[in-house]
Amino acid sequence: MNPEQIAAHVDALAATLALPLAPEHRPGVLRYFALADEMAALVNGLSLSVHDEPAEAFVPIAASERHE
Amino acid sequence: MSEALLLQNAGSIAAAVRAGEVSAEAVAQASLARIEATDGTVNAFTEVTATRALATARSLDARIAAGDAGTLALPLLGVPYAVKNLFDIEGLTTLAGSRIERGKPPAKADGPLLKRLEAAGAVLVGAQNMDEYAYGFTTENSHEGPTRNPHDPARVAGGSSGGSAASVAAGQVPLALGSDTNGSIRVPSSLCGIFGLKPTYGRLPRNGSYPFVASLDHLGPFARSAQDLALAYDAIQGHDAADPACVRRPLEPAAPLLSLGRRGLRVAQLTGYFHDMAGREARAAVARVAEALGGLPKVELPEVARARAAAFLISNAEGAALHLEDLRRRPQDFEPLSRDRFLAGALIPAAWVIQAQKLRRWFALRAAELLREVDVLIAPATPVAAPDIGSEWIDINGQRFAARPSLGLLTQPISCIGLPVCAAPVWGVHPSMPIGVQIIAAPWREDHALRIAHALEQAGVVQAPIARLV
Repeated sequence: MNPEQIAAHVDALAATLALPLAPEHRPGVLRYFALADEMAALVNGLSLSVHDEPAEAFVPIAASERHE
Repeated sequence: MSEALLLQNAGSIAAAVRAGEVSAEAVAQASLARIEATDGTVNAFTEVTATRALATARSLDARIAAGDAGTLALPLLGVPYAVKNLFDIEGLTTLAGSRIERGKPPAKADGPLLKRLEAAGAVLVGAQNMDEYAYGFTTENSHEGPTRNPHDPARVAGGSSGGSAASVAAGQVPLALGSDTNGSIRVPSSLCGIFGLKPTYGRLPRNGSYPFVASLDHLGPFARSAQDLALAYDAIQGHDAADPACVRRPLEPAAPLLSLGRRGLRVAQLTGYFHDMAGREARAAVARVAEALGGLPKVELPEVARARAAAFLISNAEGAALHLEDLRRRPQDFEPLSRDRFLAGALIPAAWVIQAQKLRRWFALRAAELLREVDVLIAPATPVAAPDIGSEWIDINGQRFAARPSLGLLTQPISCIGLPVCAAPVWGVHPSMPIGVQIIAAPWREDHALRIAHALEQAGVVQAPIARLV
């Protein structure tokens, strides 16, 4: 994403989430979102198949188990 | 007597209390006095639980005086310890390094790991400074002030469990508990020159502690020897169904196995990314350990930078989602050093995180293949030794990196796949500071990592001297 795309995404999604970005926070948010975008480029750069499962697997909970 | 004993290892303290050479109360007093004398410099503690510590110690002394055999057998009898302030302590608000949690109701009970340490005879003396909500590698906490490195107070202690590591290096306590999501036990262990254990993901229950990233959070101990680390780890093992990630496994004590040392273990040195992202001193620390182990074959994991990126995205997105409501309502109350990162994390697309979770499993499978061929992997723990407080940048082989997120460059890929790691400190490769190595084992083989740490300690290659503060 170029800086304009990052700014557009950040502003649009912040509005969607009702997450106000104060003017003094916005430059830092853009900087860190650009860093996340760099990380995403690395993550998305590895070709994985539809059969590659995510790391997390849900475990059903039996009624007899204490769980909280 | 008790002052000198406090600076010994936990096993020696417990033995002296057991033998009646010193009371548990005197040891607790010595710990409280050293905290009083040194914490103005170190700033490791946010709360000192003196009343509770003395009451616990006196209760132990009364049971010892009554000749209670069960009490006398406790492995950590009278040993002072402290915990990162994200652990629940009965009667105290769990701050997790934040301003936002202040004023919330106090915890109704100790977290399970505290209960287990106390059941083993240990005595809690306080709660400790950390990066806010565990999102940082330096413990430059703007609300509490930075924790300073006991070996050079101008430098950071590392984070996010910086108070816990610094207190052990400062001789305030021989044991502490912290958490590690991306390196928060191993980074401060490296920078403060102590031992730290990040157990296998799912080994220890995390209920009773403030979460950061549920899919990556681990809890674990700090100590000044591999033996103490194993004693503490053995005391806190056990399943708890209240943590859905905690795996039901039998207790697998490591301390009785330490004397096996390297016997039968295949050890190799991780290279590639772990060489490229390590500075000169980090490389020298690994070389020294490799030499002590008789020279090690070099092996590589594939796509480590992508695995680190996966950990970064998962942490950024999950951590932000956890705090979304506060980020909406009161962003000004967040730690300024991590607030903008949290805000950015709230905006990460779901597809990136799902791909990161898939990549994480792919990388875990590659690591499993490698760990069929070797039992233990050696890698540097941090790219550099402790930077000065306030540093914005670190230099790794002539390349400039943002200091605060980059201290975890070498730890993130390993916690991403939940492998157990013992961080062990090497001295003499930097003019004045320690730097750690990671001793990485296969899942559920904490004993292998601890055995190598113990063997290296016996050989004098890794050690954790107490800082000369007073």
